[in-house]
Amino acid sequence: MKTLLKTVLIFALVLMFLLVPVVAFLLKDWYAYWGMGFLALLFGIVLIYLKTRYYWEED
Amino acid sequence: MAEPTFEASPELVIGVTTAVVSFLVISILLGFLGRRKAKSFEHWLVGHGDIGPLITGFALVASYLSGWAMFGNAGLGYAYGWSGSWLIGTVNLMGIALCLVLGYRMRRYVKLGARTVPEMLRVRFESKLAQAVAALAMIILLIVYSVGQFKAMATVWAVTTNTSFYWSLLLTAIFVLLYIGVGGYAGTQWVSCFQGILLTVVGWTLGIIAVFWAGGFSQIADAIRTETFVAPGGTQTSIPLSGYTLPLPPPQGLAFPGVDWIGVGGSMLMFLLMATGFPHNIARFLGSRKITKKEYWMMLAIVALGSFTAMWIGTVGFAARAVWGNRLMLDQYKPMYGDSAAIFVSIDSGGVVLASLFAAAVFAASVATLGGMAMIMATNITRDFVHNVRPQTSPKILLWLTRLTLIPFIAIPLWWTFTSPPPILSEFVAGSAVAQAGIFFFVVGVSMYWKRATKWGAIATVFYGLILTLLHPNAYGKSIGLYHWGYWAFAMMLGSALVYFAVSFATKPLSKEKLEKLFPQGSQQPT
Repeated sequence: MKTLLKTVLIFALVLMFLLVPVVAFLLKDWYAYWGMGFLALLFGIVLIYLKTRYYWEED
Repeated sequence: MAEPTFEASPELVIGVTTAVVSFLVISILLGFLGRRKAKSFEHWLVGHGDIGPLITGFALVASYLSGWAMFGNAGLGYAYGWSGSWLIGTVNLMGIALCLVLGYRMRRYVKLGARTVPEMLRVRFESKLAQAVAALAMIILLIVYSVGQFKAMATVWAVTTNTSFYWSLLLTAIFVLLYIGVGGYAGTQWVSCFQGILLTVVGWTLGIIAVFWAGGFSQIADAIRTETFVAPGGTQTSIPLSGYTLPLPPPQGLAFPGVDWIGVGGSMLMFLLMATGFPHNIARFLGSRKITKKEYWMMLAIVALGSFTAMWIGTVGFAARAVWGNRLMLDQYKPMYGDSAAIFVSIDSGGVVLASLFAAAVFAASVATLGGMAMIMATNITRDFVHNVRPQTSPKILLWLTRLTLIPFIAIPLWWTFTSPPPILSEFVAGSAVAQAGIFFFVVGVSMYWKRATKWGAIATVFYGLILTLLHPNAYGKSIGLYHWGYWAFAMMLGSALVYFAVSFATKPLSKEKLEKLFPQGSQQPT
């Protein structure tokens, strides 16, 4: 289950990156502008979740 | 459309001078305190390894948000409309978050003796050659990047104090030299935190005020729909600014990243890789202490605030275009052109107070980045070349040599800006950013995690990246028919990846015993 969730989250990261030009193409103007920023924020949250949950490093 | 009516009133000159001088004095004092605390050359370079998440987070914001983001982004929004968004960095948080995740491992190399980013490579590959080659590449690319910082500061100073652009350049260089000369890493980490907070607060404030000043979001969008592209110098075109791509005429137009979706893809990849690839960024982790999981989330919140600052500054450019049309692209605004949009908006929308704070924030962004870069370049010489060749050189001599070496690394980009200032600064420095992203994301970022990486893979990537840098569409690329920025950017970044992995696989890595020291079992705990 944990591995599945990890895989889904990594896939979500790729999807969020690929969705950026799609958002720009479909939404236009400010919706696209802030929409891309929102996608980047989601990307950051998922990435830090992956780091702290699955790839945490101890000294 | 209205004309930006503006006069450098005595109040404005006093306000801006006070704000900039106060900012510099606070920064220098913090830097001086940091220097006093540094008991040795090594302490001066990396501090005491006790920097927490708040300081590291805001310092990262300050070194990442350069004159490009804090100032040039408005020029991009102004000159290119929505298609400028790709260089404004709507996705920059993706790259900064990746840098947070990857950069933390620098601490492991500090424990093994690394004090600079190239030294990390010496430790990783047990190769002084890899260290020296990386140091040389950093110097070349960071000099280009520094040009943009000088243009940002000089433009602000010139516009607000009615000083000539060239005298403003000279003055800002003196400021920078003073500031860095008494700073050093331990100092600049604290100074950068102060600067990160300042430019985040001012950037958000100016962006929000600019939207109201221009009549609101929908009015700005409506106005941009009616605008067409005007090249620096005033050449009119009928190409509308309303889309997220701007089909500028080939061949020169292809050098703009937002010209089509290939360019867009290249700029997105650049933003994903460059925060980790910037040596002055990843170096922020050299002095950081152990960070808890909770503190990691705190760092993300800080860098998220910072990354949206860049977008708010882009918004200022859209607002300026909506109110003033294409006026700032005309020859009377040479050599600043659209890059002057943000400072004019700050004056027009917020008067002396906002303009003064914004001037200080631009200095903060530029000085923090320039400071970080000048330190990297100077220590590249002393630590990565001199100390490499003559390890018995005393720390005292190295310290003074580092300070002296700062002078040429400030003078060279200064001369460049003086003789040929780039018309749109963000577009210019993006060339260096792509090269840093392509080379150092792999050579530094990936090498910290990939055991199979070899020194020859790293060295070959650096040479490949430097050759591709020369082939930038605005440099020598056109001589071989490479006019398209997107193709060039992909060739740089994907080509660097290919060279790095292929040469690494083809050559012998460090022995298993040595790698165990660098990648101890159980240091990473998948749960």
